[in-house]
Amino acid sequence: MAAVLPARPTPEAAPQDHEVGLLGMWIFLVTELLFFGGLFLAYAVARAHAPEAFALAGAHTHVVLGTINTALLLTASALVAGAVSAGEADRASRAVPWLLGLAAALGVAFLAVKGAEYVSEWHEHLVPGPDFALRDVGGAQLFFVLYWTMTALHGVHVAVGVAVLALFARGTHRLSAWATPRRVEVAGLYWHFVDLVWIVLYPLLYLMGRHP
Amino acid sequence: MNARARWRPVALAWAALMALLLLTLGLAYLPLGRLNLVAALAIAAAKAALVVVVFMHPRRGPSALRVAAVVGVATLSLLFGLSSLDFGTRHAEPAAAQVPKQLPPLRQPGPGPRPER
Repeated sequence: MAAVLPARPTPEAAPQDHEVGLLGMWIFLVTELLFFGGLFLAYAVARAHAPEAFALAGAHTHVVLGTINTALLLTASALVAGAVSAGEADRASRAVPWLLGLAAALGVAFLAVKGAEYVSEWHEHLVPGPDFALRDVGGAQLFFVLYWTMTALHGVHVAVGVAVLALFARGTHRLSAWATPRRVEVAGLYWHFVDLVWIVLYPLLYLMGRHP
Repeated sequence: MNARARWRPVALAWAALMALLLLTLGLAYLPLGRLNLVAALAIAAAKAALVVVVFMHPRRGPSALRVAAVVGVATLSLLFGLSSLDFGTRHAEPAAAQVPKQLPPLRQPGPGPRPER
């Protein structure tokens, strides 16, 4: 009795592969959501206990740099969405590698701005510890502990996202067999999630205590 | 579908995201009391919804994908809901935030035998 084995599906001929890829990425993103969710909960509880300190400490972050960075990430996300849509219409579209490359470049710009911000905050003694500038304000250190933890964790995600986008920019530029539009879409989901986390971080870290 | 029709929703969503970014920045400088936080979070939710719906195409793909997303959000709500119940109904004993300081060394330098353990 000869077992009839199905032919090994090629990436293009297996729609279920794509569904598995999408589903896998969404499930991964849900775990990421809960990963960041714990920190957001810590922020909510700490802020509920020390609202004045959070307003005072929040006014010490660099709102201009934070706003520029938000615009950079939102734009990068739109470029990735454009790349996915261009790749679906025409796999060999020259727009795909360019849009992905540009989005990766905006991600690098985000990290550069964030780095400059970190350096400036280091010199302003906004790192919790013995030399902390706002040591007399109870709860201000909590804000900055959360600020550094959340932005650093998010920054790692941006760095990973930049690497993934650059990889796919290269792959689609060379028309490599693995760089299918479907995989570009799955990779794009991760980048959008990184954007989503920042969308919530931005008001919590940069817009507190701005009004007189 | 030509290129223009394809990129139109993406371009519109981008423009809306930029407008919301400027709006939330401007509102932060107005003294609105508690509404400051409410407005900031509502605008963040609107921006997140735009990114999810327009850029992430949740309606495509298998329905298990949407189930996974909803389960994730529901689990996060549970985490926030039950934790808020705990912290909200507990009498807060505000512990003074400890000011970091350099403690004196436990063992003083100088001559003499080491203390027996």
